[in-house]
Amino acid sequence: MSPRAAWRLERLGFGEVYDYTAGKLDWMAAGLPTEGTGAARPRAGDLARGEVPTCALNERLDAVRERVRAGGWEVAVVANEQRVVLGLLRARELDADGDHTVEQAMRPGPSTFRPFVPAEEMARFMTEHGLESAPITTSDGRLVGLLFRQDAVEHAPDEGDRAP
Amino acid sequence: MTGPETAAVRCAGCGRRVKVCAGCEQPGCRNPICDACLRLRLGQSIAQPHPHGG
Amino acid sequence: MPTSIDREQLRALRDRDAQLVEVLPASEYEEDHLPGAINIPLRRIDAEATRVLDRGRPVIVYCWDAA
Repeated sequence: MSPRAAWRLERLGFGEVYDYTAGKLDWMAAGLPTEGTGAARPRAGDLARGEVPTCALNERLDAVRERVRAGGWEVAVVANEQRVVLGLLRARELDADGDHTVEQAMRPGPSTFRPFVPAEEMARFMTEHGLESAPITTSDGRLVGLLFRQDAVEHAPDEGDRAP
Repeated sequence: MTGPETAAVRCAGCGRRVKVCAGCEQPGCRNPICDACLRLRLGQSIAQPHPHGG
Repeated sequence: MPTSIDREQLRALRDRDAQLVEVLPASEYEEDHLPGAINIPLRRIDAEATRVLDRGRPVIVYCWDAA
């Protein structure tokens, strides 16, 4: 659609016309702000906890487990130096053999969600699928934070915390 | 890639065979969803054909 | 020929006072649009562009995605 608009504008005498081809989805998926009625709704990126512990592929699992649980967490996100999400360590993976590396123990390639998804939608989806938490990333895979279902539900009162 | 020989469930949205639910990755999911339907459902991609104009 | 740009180029052009135009229907614009964008739905470009936009400044158009 926007290429047609751009061509039409040129025909109408506009000399310098650009087409942001990737469009609004690209902008929103990068976690950038928007204006409009939707901008006031709480979104996944607003509620995601950016302080979730992260770890690297080559760390020993026992060291990570100790650090994660000392901070009161039961989950850690495996990420590289650019904070690109590579895996997840939930409780089951954290409890694996401590001699393993994170890479050996992690759940690789977890489904991630974009920061602009409304909290209400995330609450409904996470409830349906029994997800206690979900990683929120930008379109280039960088971690924004971990969204807890409880946080999403609290911002989506119509959803309630139904059992999955 | 998920081939028919390994596919275990059908996406509740489009019927496509998927190995595991893209949402929760749990084999026993009661509402399995493929990655494409997941992205559409949460507005992370736009349904095609998408009405243009206005 | 219109030039395709990415997010960073868009930001640079906005610094040059480029006009940003969402060409989606009004209902989709009203819900979410890029900061500072105005709305001229595709079918109204002929009628509105020359009235609303400044020919002397760059214009950036966008919709949902490349599809």
